[in-house]
Amino acid sequence: MKISSVLMRSSLWGAGLLLASCAYASLATSQATDSQADLMGKSSIVFSGTVSQLAATSFADVPKSAQTIVVRVDAILKKPAAVSLKRGDSVTVEVKDASAFQEGAHATFYTTGWIFGSGVAVKELGHVLGNAAPGAATGGSAHGQEQDRLSDQELKDRMNASDCVVVGRVTDVRKWNAPKTKSGSPLHVTEHDPDWHEAVVEIQSVLKGGPVKGNKVVVRFPNLNDVAWAHSPRFTKNQRGIFCLNRDKATGAPMTKLGSKEVHVYTCLGHGDTLPLSEEARVRALLKNQ
Amino acid sequence: MKAVASRLRFPGFAVFAALFALLLSPLLTPSVKRAAGFLLARGQAPAPPSIKIVDLIPASLSGESNQDSEPFLAIQKDNPQVMVASAFTPNPFSLTGNAPLYVSQDGGASWALNAITPVERMTCDITHAMATGESHPRGDLHAGTLDCSSGVTLDESESNDVVSSATMNVQSTRGNVDQPFVRALGVSSGDRIYIGVNDFNRTNGQTATIDVSVDGGATYKSVPIEMRKTAGQDGPSVRPAVANDGTVYAAFFGWRKFDGKTATSDVVVVRDDAAATGANPFQALRDPSDRQPGRVVVKNASIPWSNAPALGQERIGSTLSIAVDPNKSAIVYVGWADKGNKGDIYTLHVRNSTDRGVTWSKADLPGTTIHNATNVALAIANNGVVGFLYQQLSGGRWVTHLVQSHDAFTSSQDAVLATVPADQPAEQFLPYLGDYDYLLSVGSEFRGVFCANNTPDFADFPQGVRFQRAADFSAKTLNDGAGNLVPISIDPFYFSVRVIP
Repeated sequence: MKISSVLMRSSLWGAGLLLASCAYASLATSQATDSQADLMGKSSIVFSGTVSQLAATSFADVPKSAQTIVVRVDAILKKPAAVSLKRGDSVTVEVKDASAFQEGAHATFYTTGWIFGSGVAVKELGHVLGNAAPGAATGGSAHGQEQDRLSDQELKDRMNASDCVVVGRVTDVRKWNAPKTKSGSPLHVTEHDPDWHEAVVEIQSVLKGGPVKGNKVVVRFPNLNDVAWAHSPRFTKNQRGIFCLNRDKATGAPMTKLGSKEVHVYTCLGHGDTLPLSEEARVRALLKNQ
Repeated sequence: MKAVASRLRFPGFAVFAALFALLLSPLLTPSVKRAAGFLLARGQAPAPPSIKIVDLIPASLSGESNQDSEPFLAIQKDNPQVMVASAFTPNPFSLTGNAPLYVSQDGGASWALNAITPVERMTCDITHAMATGESHPRGDLHAGTLDCSSGVTLDESESNDVVSSATMNVQSTRGNVDQPFVRALGVSSGDRIYIGVNDFNRTNGQTATIDVSVDGGATYKSVPIEMRKTAGQDGPSVRPAVANDGTVYAAFFGWRKFDGKTATSDVVVVRDDAAATGANPFQALRDPSDRQPGRVVVKNASIPWSNAPALGQERIGSTLSIAVDPNKSAIVYVGWADKGNKGDIYTLHVRNSTDRGVTWSKADLPGTTIHNATNVALAIANNGVVGFLYQQLSGGRWVTHLVQSHDAFTSSQDAVLATVPADQPAEQFLPYLGDYDYLLSVGSEFRGVFCANNTPDFADFPQGVRFQRAADFSAKTLNDGAGNLVPISIDPFYFSVRVIP
């Protein structure tokens, strides 16, 4: 009996320990996966590779230091389309802790760009030692991220900086003329003249920010094709989308008439401040996880 | 598809071409000569200069197809192997990262992109100069940038090492200004920086302004240089020029009338004889007509203003350049564009003064009235030779010329640096090529930058060209380095040309 009891207790204890360790391992794996997903979101260039040189650089334009290592690329997981990087290329990585690497070590590098010359130099945001994850790509343009698409982190930052984020439809677009100044008062003519226009947006839902009176907002946007506004969204009648809006601090006239009411004017100036409706699930998920 | 290494065609080809041109020149039409890419000499037949042209886009960005327009250049004069160039090039890896600069450490043979300006993603104006007063061999880069991410903000910033990853240090910032244009001079006591800006913070409409720092940018003083009544503002271009003896000139367009399409403008030059360190800077030159500071070189020029494509796919309205002889500060040249004769869209003019800006040539210097052209940039070499860079719309092509003269254009030598299709690629935004290009002199060279269609075709670059990016000159196509085709776009090109004797 005593032996059985001991065995039973030991078995239970062992099973509990096993379960706990499995749960811990699962949690750790989950956390690592989350961490890697987070790193992937923050990184502009992700690749797996083999460390070929320590305290070295892969091309002349990069300043060599104890923190720079050369990595031969085995597989590209993520890169901008404009960047030429393929399997077999040597990349300079400025790492956070050079002692974590030895020549011949395999790792996946989560990085952001640094210097682009005859080769590529990047800065490490994080790394995972070991061979590349299953399914890692082997390079080529198919793995280039869409050049104009905001990363999750960039989109989060945009939405954090926005006063409100709405889903809506543009019901009207019209030219907006700044209030006339007195005769003889200073001009303000530049090649960066925005040629302001206004869009009336009918709101279907508010993803961030409080309710909007009358369910409509006026959004002022630049209509000139000058470099200053080259990446600012333009609006067209009946356009539907998700709009990241800020109170107007750009035009000098932050209020306008909408019908008979005096309302705040918004602007939507940054690249990616308008998104297609197909991005709604992503936007909601990012807002939820903040 | 294998990328084909580009090639320089000098000196062998050039010697042959020059001899051939001399023999056949009387038989050829000017357009044939241009198409053939010959060096055209007017008034003399000097030896062909050595010319180097390099597409700035590095090999590792071969997949890009941005409109990298409006180039600029800075040279570290104590260490002229180090240069910095810029264009409307976006950050290649992040929509929210810093806008980049191009850096060369080998005298322009190769260029790399380093994202260190204080502006997010892409500047909407950038000029810069490298002074030598603080003894940083890869600095001191002083930049004036406009950040247009929300409103328009001027940052005046510096980098002590343009190769480092440190974001440039912003020393001064303010809103409501336009088109910063930086010149700098290193002296033993530090860097003197002069930034021309059109400052809309001036409520009297006298907006032409020079931001002056005589302490390496630690402090700036904004100096108004327009003293006359304006139409409500001056033109966007305010251009300083600095001689080695501390004489500082500046040129600007004094707008006297503006109707939305045409500015009736004076071309005005001011001067300071003490590096703009005195109590009332830039008042050394006065016009005899009204005794006001600022010599009127040309009165009531009719300057077309178009924020839409007007000259090919390019906008027009404010091209202006001034250059002073670095060693003889009495000699100064000014170039600008106006409406010109009937039938012209935009006409360049160059005039000069040999008495510190007191009197000016009454007419354009010989051969410097250039029809349908823009982006004038002037520089004067140590031996007094003047360089005149411009881009002309001719026969459906943008033709980039560098003219040199040692005798105020009585005789001159013209080299066509590029002749590219003007209708391709389609503009992504304005400016198409830039509101300016740039020319500097260092040692026995003129060095400069211009923008052009980047088709890899030697016929477009009569002096030869070298592409860093992946290019197939046989097929005349670009690729991303992995064989995938990349569309033609506008790229910045660096050039160096030996100064004629």
